[in-house]
Amino acid sequence: MLYARSRQLTASLAAVVISAVVVWAIGRGPTDHRLALLVLATGTIAASIGLGGQDHALDRTAAIRWMPRRAMHVLLAGVVVGAVLLTVQTMGHELATVEFVVRNCAGLLGLAALGAAIAGGQYAWTLPFAWLAFAFFAPPPTSVPMEVATWMMLPPGTAAGTWTAVTLGVVGTTAYAVAGPRR
Amino acid sequence: MSSRVSRIEFKRSIALWAGVIVLATALAFLYLLNSAWSRGTTAWTAQWTSMAMWTRSLLFYLWPVALGLGALQGLRDHRSRISELLTSTPRPAWHRAATVAGPTAITLLAAFALLVLVGAAQVIANTEYPHLGWLPISLVGALFLIAGAVLGMGIGRALPSVLTPPVVAMAGITFTSLMQLSLGQTHTITASGIPISEPNRLSLLSPALRDVRDAFTTVSTSVHLGQVIWLLGMVATGFALLVVVTSRAKLIALTPVVAGVLLSMAVLPTEPQRMYVLDEAATEPVCDGPVCVTRTHQARLADFAVHGEEALGLLAGALGDQAPVSIRENTVPTPDGSIPRWTADTVLFGFDDDHIVAAQSGEELTRALIAKAMVPGCSPVFSSGGGFNLDEAAAQSIATGWVLGDLTATSGTADVANERILEQALPVWEELNALPPSEQLARINAMRAVATSCDGDALSVLAGGASR
Repeated sequence: MLYARSRQLTASLAAVVISAVVVWAIGRGPTDHRLALLVLATGTIAASIGLGGQDHALDRTAAIRWMPRRAMHVLLAGVVVGAVLLTVQTMGHELATVEFVVRNCAGLLGLAALGAAIAGGQYAWTLPFAWLAFAFFAPPPTSVPMEVATWMMLPPGTAAGTWTAVTLGVVGTTAYAVAGPRR
Repeated sequence: MSSRVSRIEFKRSIALWAGVIVLATALAFLYLLNSAWSRGTTAWTAQWTSMAMWTRSLLFYLWPVALGLGALQGLRDHRSRISELLTSTPRPAWHRAATVAGPTAITLLAAFALLVLVGAAQVIANTEYPHLGWLPISLVGALFLIAGAVLGMGIGRALPSVLTPPVVAMAGITFTSLMQLSLGQTHTITASGIPISEPNRLSLLSPALRDVRDAFTTVSTSVHLGQVIWLLGMVATGFALLVVVTSRAKLIALTPVVAGVLLSMAVLPTEPQRMYVLDEAATEPVCDGPVCVTRTHQARLADFAVHGEEALGLLAGALGDQAPVSIRENTVPTPDGSIPRWTADTVLFGFDDDHIVAAQSGEELTRALIAKAMVPGCSPVFSSGGGFNLDEAAAQSIATGWVLGDLTATSGTADVANERILEQALPVWEELNALPPSEQLARINAMRAVATSCDGDALSVLAGGASR
């Protein structure tokens, strides 16, 4: 419980749910996976601030094994963000397929974890945010490098998109689990 | 505010970082990505208005970044746990607010101005049509950045939580994205049955502008006015939130931004045609004999007129008194999905037409103009590029070949398509050439009537079928 509180769990969770409901309610036009991407990114970014503790010195005194706990934290955050969107859209009006949600959750949470390892929990959101801005503004991809660069916009099942998401997920989670948030 | 205080503020705040992020990412987008802003007559370095509008489009993410950075800045006092200490000082609160907001506003302004300067330096080299009509577009853009940062600071101060900056930035980008997606667009079906979407009034609250479709379209004054009202409300609320302490005052501080939205809704135009309007001065014709281009492109007239007159001469020789007598740059704004309109006695062209762009040497330019005169093309127009019609391209090749005396596939399309065009054109070409000259001319004239009125299939008329 203390761990959850120190990681701003309630506030993050509220932000995840509110953003999902708001975008879902607004985006009742033609189905567009960019709306789903916005929900997932907001969720990731809200969850990312929990990737750093309040006080690093205090954390070090805790007699727990940090590595599996940190990995679990990232995975759980990803599951929650994805699950919230999927739950909201069971009320009718689908925004995205399960495949799309899983891929982008994995990739985005990986990015956030990497951001936490590099810049600390407080600034972890900058990495997913920057990539999202790029993906939204970049022209439709015509080559494989551009597909990798705009992975989160690709339709589900595109090899380049899936592999980039998997790589980001694995690298980010590992880096965060091993190194922890930057102090 | 003494200069010493602001120097310290520059050093210890994120102001400088904000400037660096804005300038560096914007330049990276414009230079590293090969997209619509790097091509043709609407490239961001080609004309003043295009430059201003493309740099404005970047605010799609720069404005959320300004919001987020502002919120980070607004959190600073809370983080260092000195808010209470500061409220006990005798200095007026707005004094301190100005010290915090000033440097960030100045760096954001400087970064955006530098971005515009980088574009301007290249536009000066690329155009001979200087004007100041673009300036309001950029000024409103800069004001958007400043207002975003101030509002972000206010929110950061009012809701001090580590969650505030990311949520504010994300809310900003969600807002600008939604304005470009379903929420900020009207969905209609054109007369020709093609679904299109155009911006509506709500989307004008977003700092980003619509993509640049031609070099003559500019933003109307009422749009600028409405946006400035909304921005003034935003600045007022941001500043008020920086100053006030009690939660009741915080709620009252939201009044300006709400009032700004409501007032701007009254001022902003409702129809897309009144948001993005034709720039009359830019489309004024500049002529050399029968060949006219717009003032925007007057630099290209000298070279163009030679080939234009040559093409008109060849057409007159082949078509007699039915031949077109003038060539003009097309300035009619074509909404997405509309069928273009042509006339038989004036050749209308655009510098972004596939044929004109593909013409490498002068001779090809003459051929391209003849092709445009014979079969101007009737596919619906889209900002993302026109459609390709194989029969139409074949008819165009035949008609152009008939004027010039040899059959070549029209350039401007991919090589693979050229082979298919020739395949389609060859039987009709041979049949046409076997006819006596007077009948050839009659068929060509009948075909031209169909092709310029977009009423029927040009190729089947050439092949001897009746026009539908």
